[in-house]
Amino acid sequence: MINRNQLLTLLIVFAIIGTAPFLITRESTLNTVILILYVALLGQAWNILGGYGGQFSFGHAAFFGTGAYSVAVLQLQYGINPWIGLFIGGLLAMGVALFIGFASFRYGLRGSYFALVTLAFAEVLRILSNSVSFTGGGVGILIPLSRDPANMQFANNVGYFWLIWALCLACFLTVWWLGRSRFGAWLQAVRDNEDAARALGVDVFATKMKAAALSGFFSGLAGVFYAQFYLYLDPAIAYGSAVSIESLLVPIIGGMGTLFGPLIGAAVTHLLAETTRHFVGDVPGIALAIYGLLLILVVMFLPRGLISIFGRIGGLFGSRRAADA
Amino acid sequence: MTKTTPFSIKRRTFIAGSGAAALAAGVTGFPAVLRAQAPDPVRIGLVHPVTGFIAFSGTQCRAGAEMAIADINAAGGIQSLGGAQLEAMLADSQGRPELGASETARLIEGGAAGIVAGFSSAISLATTQEAAKTNTPHVVDVGVADDIVNRGLTNTFRFAPGYGAVAQSAVARLDEINKAANSPAKTAVIIHEESLFGTGTANLMSEELPKIGIEVLSVIRHANPTRDFTNIALQLRSLQPDLIIPANYYNEYVLLARTLRQQRIEAKGIYSVLGGAASNVQFVQEFPEAAEFIMDCNHWYDPNSEVALQRRAAAEAKNLFYTYEVFCAYNAVAFLADAIERAGSTEKEAVIEALNGSTWDNHGMPYGPTEIVNGQNQGAQAVNTQVQNGKIEVVLPAEFASAEAVFPMPSAG
Repeated sequence: MINRNQLLTLLIVFAIIGTAPFLITRESTLNTVILILYVALLGQAWNILGGYGGQFSFGHAAFFGTGAYSVAVLQLQYGINPWIGLFIGGLLAMGVALFIGFASFRYGLRGSYFALVTLAFAEVLRILSNSVSFTGGGVGILIPLSRDPANMQFANNVGYFWLIWALCLACFLTVWWLGRSRFGAWLQAVRDNEDAARALGVDVFATKMKAAALSGFFSGLAGVFYAQFYLYLDPAIAYGSAVSIESLLVPIIGGMGTLFGPLIGAAVTHLLAETTRHFVGDVPGIALAIYGLLLILVVMFLPRGLISIFGRIGGLFGSRRAADA
Repeated sequence: MTKTTPFSIKRRTFIAGSGAAALAAGVTGFPAVLRAQAPDPVRIGLVHPVTGFIAFSGTQCRAGAEMAIADINAAGGIQSLGGAQLEAMLADSQGRPELGASETARLIEGGAAGIVAGFSSAISLATTQEAAKTNTPHVVDVGVADDIVNRGLTNTFRFAPGYGAVAQSAVARLDEINKAANSPAKTAVIIHEESLFGTGTANLMSEELPKIGIEVLSVIRHANPTRDFTNIALQLRSLQPDLIIPANYYNEYVLLARTLRQQRIEAKGIYSVLGGAASNVQFVQEFPEAAEFIMDCNHWYDPNSEVALQRRAAAEAKNLFYTYEVFCAYNAVAFLADAIERAGSTEKEAVIEALNGSTWDNHGMPYGPTEIVNGQNQGAQAVNTQVQNGKIEVVLPAEFASAEAVFPMPSAG
């Protein structure tokens, strides 16, 4: 029943978000909505592994960057259309996630050790992409302008909105499915007590690997979107720690292990940043300071994230406790 | 019986009509006169990285752009728009391209007639692309990547040179300096930051230096930020190059130069290309020993220009270091304002047309009047500077020189 309500709520929320291009006339406001959805996608991708699976990754940039570079390199060097590159990018990012997952889970790394390993892999990829020629090295890759939907480039933000809206919806539907599937239950069992889960017959290694694959795939899709939206990549953008931090901060602020946490986290942090920039934008760094303050407050007073504010309604919105139930 | 014709006006009708007209003028006409006296301000969007790892440069850019706006307003604003004042719209890209793009969109929606951005090449690529969606005129202040103006965006202009032109000048002048000293420099090591600007410059230098008989022993890349250059200094000690060629941002440049001095690494010359600190007044004042005799091929003003010297004095009177970021951003704003002045309008197409036809020369730079081809100012060039006796002197080209190059540099002893 809860899951059916969640699905209904999810569809209503995305239907409301889908009215944005019809109601919003300001390009910059639509741009903000696009960024919220993009960050929500990043956060939800992390949430699959970190929130539902309990495997805290500090290196999701490894998957994001692989997706981004894949679509750029494929279209520039092999002439492969970015619509095809979208899926190849996601699959290659999934491959990287499986590799990192195998190297980590096979040897029982968890907790802070897993976090450090993922961080290290992202750094290795950043250095590699700086060194090899097909990524353009430090000069990076500039995707030529060709404002044609056939090339996944749009003349205005409406096209990009629908692209990220669709990717985001796919990711959120997957996470909704996680909340009601047997695999999702195994994953949450692994998160809550790995040894107990194993004792109950859950294949811990396979469960973690599947979660890593899903998480990597959606992070890779976010990378593809970034590449096509901004048309420029360099190693620091693709594999830098900023992406990894943003990926994990959004669900932490919104609510880890919940369906709507990443969306709430992305919306609140972006709207807060926009508001502070609007009112005190002339003071350098104030938006960042407020962002940091919010994080501290959430960690101190709302350890389950902003979604826990909803209290009883939280059950409807899919809080961790409700999902566990 | 009163006889009327279709065009006759009765006395009462005339009086009533006149009264209504006077009332209407009182309601709407008078404020129109007021508006003519105080025209709407012209908004200029300034997008710079005033926080993040390149905050120093971004803050300097913002200061330079605001100086230009203050000077233009003090001189009467945009005359062709009835003395309209320029109004700065400020935004912080935090050193991130995606934020630079979203801030550009916000400023354009807020009524910016033009954008001046974005210091770094990566950010400039994003901001120009965003401004292109609405065909808003965009002047790049410092971003040096050639792709910024080479990818066909008709709204994008750059007053200063790109790194292709800078690297060519740097190599040609190095050859000139080396030959004038009987070619003592035969080897070089390039040390560059890892992003687009440093890597692009290093690649060009690596290709060009062998053509003038200088072997590149090694190209050493470092991350941003890097807080310890000891290992790089030790590599240099082992390689013993004749020339050390840095291409990096301010903080890393200062650290590198200080480490070289502390480790007593000596070469026949330190020859920077777009060195973040080599032509920086702050670096020279704060670390005079480390800076002495360093040469740089970089953005610099014409030391013989009264306009440039007055601007420098005005900046220093405000306790502002007159670095290249300041005068590049200043001139980017003034270049845009000149186009708005000549266009007599803030219509985007008119301003873009005026920028394309610009022959502006009141910039105090060693460029000559502007000549725009595909958005790039063709006369823009870097000059060679050298720190001599704690002052930054221009040593090449000869027509702008304030001193002669000292090469090889004397031993620190």
